[in-house]
Amino acid sequence: MKNLWFHKLSGHLTVKIEGKGMERFINQLTRDKVQIWNVKRVEPNAVTFQMFIKDVPFLRQAVHYHQVKVRFIKKAGFPFYLKRLKKNAGFLLGAVIALFIVLLLSNMIWKIEIKGASPEVEYKITNQLKQLGVRKGGFQFFIDDPETIQRKLSNMNEDITWIGVELKGTTYHFQVVEKEQPEPQEKKGPQHLVAKKEAVIVDYFVEKGQPVISVHDFVKPGQLLVSGIIGKEDEPQYVSAKGEIFGKTWYDTEVEVQLHNQFELMTGNEVRRTAIKIGHLSIPIWGFKKVQYQNKQQEQDETAIKFLKWTLPIAIEKTTIREVEIHEKAYNEEEAKQLALSIAKKNVIESIPKDAKIVEEKVLHEKVENGKLKLLVTYDVIENIAKEEPIIPQEEPIIQN
Amino acid sequence: MRRWITNQLDLPEDVMMDFPRITMVGQIHIYIENHKGLLSFSDKEIRILLSQGQLLIKGKAFVIKTILPEEILLEGKIEQVLFIPE
Repeated sequence: MKNLWFHKLSGHLTVKIEGKGMERFINQLTRDKVQIWNVKRVEPNAVTFQMFIKDVPFLRQAVHYHQVKVRFIKKAGFPFYLKRLKKNAGFLLGAVIALFIVLLLSNMIWKIEIKGASPEVEYKITNQLKQLGVRKGGFQFFIDDPETIQRKLSNMNEDITWIGVELKGTTYHFQVVEKEQPEPQEKKGPQHLVAKKEAVIVDYFVEKGQPVISVHDFVKPGQLLVSGIIGKEDEPQYVSAKGEIFGKTWYDTEVEVQLHNQFELMTGNEVRRTAIKIGHLSIPIWGFKKVQYQNKQQEQDETAIKFLKWTLPIAIEKTTIREVEIHEKAYNEEEAKQLALSIAKKNVIESIPKDAKIVEEKVLHEKVENGKLKLLVTYDVIENIAKEEPIIPQEEPIIQN
Repeated sequence: MRRWITNQLDLPEDVMMDFPRITMVGQIHIYIENHKGLLSFSDKEIRILLSQGQLLIKGKAFVIKTILPEEILLEGKIEQVLFIPE
């Protein structure tokens, strides 16, 4: 017996025959090498069985010789499925297209909301978003993820403190916090100038007020530098002390430099791959080139496909594999020291105010340990150490008396 | 004569003697090779023509699973298998 699923697949019929001499009828079919199966007697003078469509001519022949009535009860099998499918093809096609459209629309941008921005800034951001591809009717596949948009927008706009980008379904929400522009300086009340940090006074320039320090003085944080009280002791005048006090301050930095350094350099060769990821299974659809790089760096980017408000477990996965070369560099101690010093200087420059000046560089400590050079460096920096401190108005009533 | 050759040469009897070969699987299947045609068939009884005589099978719920020029596979609950000589 041939396996049954083969029967199921190929087109077959269920036939009912009524009449006398069914056995002879079946014998004749068998002799004609017609395959029949599932022969059942359903009524005393009726039999049902199944046969292939291709054998129907033999059935007709047999019917010719015997006094039987033939009825086809059921058509089944793949050819009939196909036929039915063809009939319903329009419907099926419609369903597929509808699904596709919904899928497409779910991945479009329908709304862009910008909150917290003044009209000019909002207009500016809208234009910048257009440049980035974020516009109504755009596809989410082709634009960057919210974090990248956020970073790019922040870089583009100097006058924005923070911008929050959130993608909710098909709507992009932007929450903008504008930088508060410094308001024009108001007239200041009476104030002193005090020291910001420990320093040795190098020079000072006082516009208003009574300096109480002199060059080479050592001052501590909070110490009075320029008094806002001038005039005679018995009839003092209050002014807003103003000026610049330059003090020498110290910055310590510790730098570590590895004597053997390994670093990666990209060669510019890369292979891009695109795959559709369903659950944990990813099916490559683009980029089958074999990667022959000895050292490589891999970057993966996933865009999930959405259906209405749900995120489907299907994602488009883009992989970029870049070739890198590993270079090794060994420094001798002198070179390492130079490098460490330049790093230290860079660190200091970053941490000191813009108008400060480095005047001296002193290496306090130098040690090679575990293949690393440790360097402790002190920088003498001249900077403005003045800090404004208002004169507490409590004192005023005493003076009025 | 034929029987003698078969015995002497140790040949399978069913091939040489034109006998039916009947295989049964428990009570549910009976497989008859080398039959000569269907004589009568109902869900309780089936009569098959052999080269010599007939085979009568009695039981319940008979369905001919396959019928080919020389083979029949019958399914159902088989109760009796009878050889009816000519």
